[in-house]
Amino acid sequence: MSLQQNLASETVDKLNLREALTIAPDRTLREAVMTMRNGNLGCVVVVDGENKPIGLFTEAMLRLAICRDPCCIGAKVAEHMATVYPWVATDDTIDTVLEAMEAKNHRFVVVVDGDHRVAGLTGQKGLMEYVAEHFPDEVMVQRVGTKPYPVTREGA
Amino acid sequence: MTTETTKNNEFQDPLENYDAPTYADPLERALAEEPVTAIQTHPYSTIAPETTVDEALHKMAGNEIACLLVADRKSKLVGVFSDRDVMNKVALEYEDVKDRPVSELMTGDPVYVFDTDTASAAICVMAVSGYRHVPVVALDGKLLGIISPQRVTHFLCEHFSNE
Repeated sequence: MSLQQNLASETVDKLNLREALTIAPDRTLREAVMTMRNGNLGCVVVVDGENKPIGLFTEAMLRLAICRDPCCIGAKVAEHMATVYPWVATDDTIDTVLEAMEAKNHRFVVVVDGDHRVAGLTGQKGLMEYVAEHFPDEVMVQRVGTKPYPVTREGA
Repeated sequence: MTTETTKNNEFQDPLENYDAPTYADPLERALAEEPVTAIQTHPYSTIAPETTVDEALHKMAGNEIACLLVADRKSKLVGVFSDRDVMNKVALEYEDVKDRPVSELMTGDPVYVFDTDTASAAICVMAVSGYRHVPVVALDGKLLGIISPQRVTHFLCEHFSNE
């Protein structure tokens, strides 16, 4: 099948989903940053007691928060998280991820299971990896400028 | 290019047996054949290596951008300063690092692609290296722009909807 057909027919669980980092809304931004640093991921999903998502806090929001007030690092995540965020179900097709990112320029998309509990995370990098799989020749002979590959990945 | 001759010493073009690649859909063709510059590479923002972290952060926040290209006086790319650097090196250490030059905290020797590389090659760089923002340079090293997943997504959607 073609790339376009695959995007329209394969489901989100075919993407290389990341394990979502979660945090309670009453934790601080400092704890959120430590969680993201340790998990090498650019966002945390804010969840309630049943592991259901209620918000999203990303490194982009962190940048804005720090710029406005560097002392905000002690504030609660709930005060800075986005309560409107993109999410898809594991059985949604991959093009729904594409649409979510294109419409609102979202970097991360929360993946939920049938009970609307957090099942994983996908987004821009997951999509890039999926598209790259359709061009194995490019991956195999890749020349990354004239520099050797980085020793470690940047992360999601 | 070597020449080939038949038994009768007639020249046989080795490209006679060349089979052009076939693509399953216009999206694959666009990714495989269009240069990386077909993906939007502008606008992009650059800063000098001696710019302070505080200035860089405010520039990113003010322009609502996730990445700054650090270029020297000859417009040669020397690094990238992005949201990930802010998260890993600035957010919890702000008072200690805000006045330091961004060159001390940027990601140096960044991965990049040439403007002659294909769109699919650029996406593979993103996928393999793990870096979301990839600068585009000319073969002579001149900085030309930057590609990001947002711009790649837009490129995919453009060619997706043309079916």
